Amino acid sequence: MAHGRRFIARLRNLLTNERVEQELAREVASHLALLADDFEREGMAREEAQLAARRAYGGVEQAKQAHRDERSVLWIEQTVQDLRYGLRTLRMSPGFTITAVFTLALGIGACTAIFSLVNAVLIRSLPYGDPGRLVYLYTPLPQFHLPPEVFSPTYADFYDLKKDCHSFEDMTMFGQSVFSLAWQGTAERVSTARVDGDFFQTFQATPELGRTISADDNQLGHDRVAVISHALWQSMFGSASDILRRSLVLDGKSYQIVGVMPPGLEYPHNTDLAYGESQYKTTQVWVPLALTPKQMADRDNANASVVARLKLGVSLAQAQAEMAATMARLDKLHDPQMRGWGALIESFVDSTVGHVRRLLWLLLGAVAIVLLIACGNAANLLLARAAGRMRELGVRVALGAGRSRIIRQLITESLLIGLTGGAIGVAFAYLFLRILPLFNPGNIPRLNEASLDTHVLLFTVGVSLLTSLLTGILPALAVSRINLTDFLATTSSRSVAGAHTRVQGALIVAESALVVVLLASAGLFIRSYINVESVDTGFSQSTVTVNIGLDPRYGHPQAVAFFRNFFARLQALPGVEAVGAVSNLPLSNSDDLRMFAVEGYPNQKTQLAEARWVTPNYFSAMRIPLIAGRLFAADEKPGAHTILINQSFAKKYFAGRNAIGGRVTRQDDHAQWNTVVGVIGDVRNNSLEEPAEPQIYEPDMEFAGGNIAILSSLPASSLAATIRAVLHSLDASLAAGDVRTMGDLESAATAQRRFQTSLLTVFAAIALFLALVGLYGLMAYSVSRRSREVGIRMALGAQRSDVLALILGKAALLLGLGLASGLIASWFATRAIQAFLFGVDRHDPITILSVCALLEVSGLIAAIIPARRAASIDPMQALRSE
Amino acid sequence: MKKTPIQILQGTLDLMILRTLATMGPQHAYGIASRLQQVSGDALNLNQGTIYPALVRIEQHGWTRGSWGKTENNREAKYYGITKAGLLALDEETERWRQMAGVVEKLLAKEQ
Repeated sequence: MAHGRRFIARLRNLLTNERVEQELAREVASHLALLADDFEREGMAREEAQLAARRAYGGVEQAKQAHRDERSVLWIEQTVQDLRYGLRTLRMSPGFTITAVFTLALGIGACTAIFSLVNAVLIRSLPYGDPGRLVYLYTPLPQFHLPPEVFSPTYADFYDLKKDCHSFEDMTMFGQSVFSLAWQGTAERVSTARVDGDFFQTFQATPELGRTISADDNQLGHDRVAVISHALWQSMFGSASDILRRSLVLDGKSYQIVGVMPPGLEYPHNTDLAYGESQYKTTQVWVPLALTPKQMADRDNANASVVARLKLGVSLAQAQAEMAATMARLDKLHDPQMRGWGALIESFVDSTVGHVRRLLWLLLGAVAIVLLIACGNAANLLLARAAGRMRELGVRVALGAGRSRIIRQLITESLLIGLTGGAIGVAFAYLFLRILPLFNPGNIPRLNEASLDTHVLLFTVGVSLLTSLLTGILPALAVSRINLTDFLATTSSRSVAGAHTRVQGALIVAESALVVVLLASAGLFIRSYINVESVDTGFSQSTVTVNIGLDPRYGHPQAVAFFRNFFARLQALPGVEAVGAVSNLPLSNSDDLRMFAVEGYPNQKTQLAEARWVTPNYFSAMRIPLIAGRLFAADEKPGAHTILINQSFAKKYFAGRNAIGGRVTRQDDHAQWNTVVGVIGDVRNNSLEEPAEPQIYEPDMEFAGGNIAILSSLPASSLAATIRAVLHSLDASLAAGDVRTMGDLESAATAQRRFQTSLLTVFAAIALFLALVGLYGLMAYSVSRRSREVGIRMALGAQRSDVLALILGKAALLLGLGLASGLIASWFATRAIQAFLFGVDRHDPITILSVCALLEVSGLIAAIIPARRAASIDPMQALRSE
Repeated sequence: MKKTPIQILQGTLDLMILRTLATMGPQHAYGIASRLQQVSGDALNLNQGTIYPALVRIEQHGWTRGSWGKTENNREAKYYGITKAGLLALDEETERWRQMAGVVEKLLAKEQ
């Protein structure tokens, strides 16, 4: 009961309008004063009169309460009335209702879907305590002209920073490895983080079971412990309760399982670290980093990432200043050849989602445009209907319904439409989220966690309300301008309808303009995507690659022998054309950058090339063409110091001279010169969107594990099965990781483009569809309004073709105005998408022409149905009908 | 015979207020209440505050329009004036009341 009373009290508060309350108090006071005045006039003393006034008035609070009750009862009553009336009128015109609801549902659904993405990726907090205080630390060395994120602190610098910087609460260093995890006679490749004792504390991550990795575990000799992910615990151990008494075998070594992390904690993900392990989406195992004292004192090498948590109240800039000062001091401890180490602190959250923020806001902008167009359409429908209902509304005004009451009625109707549209929109968004994983470009963190949570639903409700107001406001304003005497005098709604048609026309122009902006953007995205797809990668798409690493049971000679045998077995398979190996596959986000010097060239200290070790057959396995000279021979002598370079290298460093026979050395030891024996085709190693860098290939005559490339005429899936079978027959405990075709890698490299292009294109298509529906609706409406006029024209001798031209001309005019303003808007708006374009100018004439043609043609097609209806009007009937 | 104050029949207060306003022009709540008491010769059991819900109801129907003004004694007061819709409603309500009263009257006459 108490609940019920509180609910009523709250409802009443909601209904209690402050202004009305004040006025009531004022009125009661005035009433009492007047009463008292009269009593005083009858001879009472002032105070006595006031008392008498109160008596005569009765309970002041009761009176106020009665006033309130009456007010709110009426409010509720009227709302119920409005709702009932609204539902009835909406039911009476199902065509209108369905169109309006469906239009808004499309707009709201698109908005909800994209917002749920934004919510999952940008808004929902990362599960690491207070993630806003987490930062990455880098120590960039500017002389290399490389992105600063390449330079994580060296081991020795890390320990000094940790000791000397007081801006941080915690600081951790961790590396990444891919291990073969042996399990029941087979093996699986798992991404593993090697972490120091502060890793879990820095991330404020507590285990679901057991404990995390401590500083003691990082002591050499005590480091055979592992923490596993919830997913691994489930998939491999079936959520066994005795998990803490079990162990894992990683690369042939046994690790005691000491803890299980909760679901969702799988840091680092492949999207987290700019230069991290990129082949595995999540980390499944954490083991101690366990550095040797020698490593801990190493000031030249860095093979780990550093994350720290800022102390409460310390800003990023303060921490940056402190770290810079510390690094300036530490710089002097470095090799004199390698000085100038800087300090850079980057927000963890920005690093995690920064690269997709722009894209997501862009998509949200696109769906906002779709929603605006949907609102325009719904407003147009409501306007058309309001014009048809002028008589009804006019009569209601004449009968004493206040203007505010009529406006409220109309807003109630648009609210009904908007909220129903919102509900259906949520269903659309749900469907969208079901198919979203198919589009997942793989580099948007937490994309698959997008869901319709409370945030999203609140957003949808807000958007639906806003939409209802936007669509309801124009008709409501139009109605509130009804001039009663004019209306009653003319007994016709023509004059008002004329004004409406102009507003409706303006809405269509605005809608088409917005569509032009979306179409132009989508067109530019499509052109960019085509450009990227047509880039020559330099390698064959059908080559199958696999990653195989041996565990420590194999010494180097055994490993070399193992792979010679393995390659021979593969090579002997029918259909296999070539088997090669490489240190880093193209487009796999991993590269060795090498400083070098070229004989007879004015060398810069910091010139860099992408360097790869390859087996002689690698080029045929990848179908990388030989341009000049020769490839590595099957028995290339390592002592011969031969190398191959790519065309870009030759063009830049051997311009105007023959590269073959030219000599190249690593910059750090001029002692050893390598001779160029051949020039091969450029390969896009990093990205399809940047030109190929200078590349160097060295022969790997003792391949002992890594990436293997196989060219064959077999289908990729059957080849993969064969590779696994061959590997299993040689050693059952080895795992074949990452079996992919080069086409898969290329596809992954263009995935984000595909994602953004398909989404934007879908939104542009929805927008175009909505605008066409709007145009069709307006033309059909105006034809029905003008049937009398058309009848007169025809009676006076106008041909059907004239009528057709009249209606189509009007549609063309609206479209033309929309196109013109849309093109002007696009001219400026496309600046927002400049950064997303590839190989196409944002004012690309082909795109603009196609957009114009598409809009004009589809617009005229939409208009031709009502135009033909107008042309088929029977003049006699039209004239008689009124 | 001792006069016992009568209770107001549901809905009749609205009618009485409309009638008062139609006859006397715009009035404040006190004026309306005084007029009702005066006409009824104290037969009505009417606390002056009792008329407020009726005033709200009538105003929300659009039958009256309120505005603030000064009394002759220079006190501020909210004046209620009847609207066209109010006049229409008054006619309707009056007609309905007459019919109702007629029916009741006839019934009572027969029973006697």
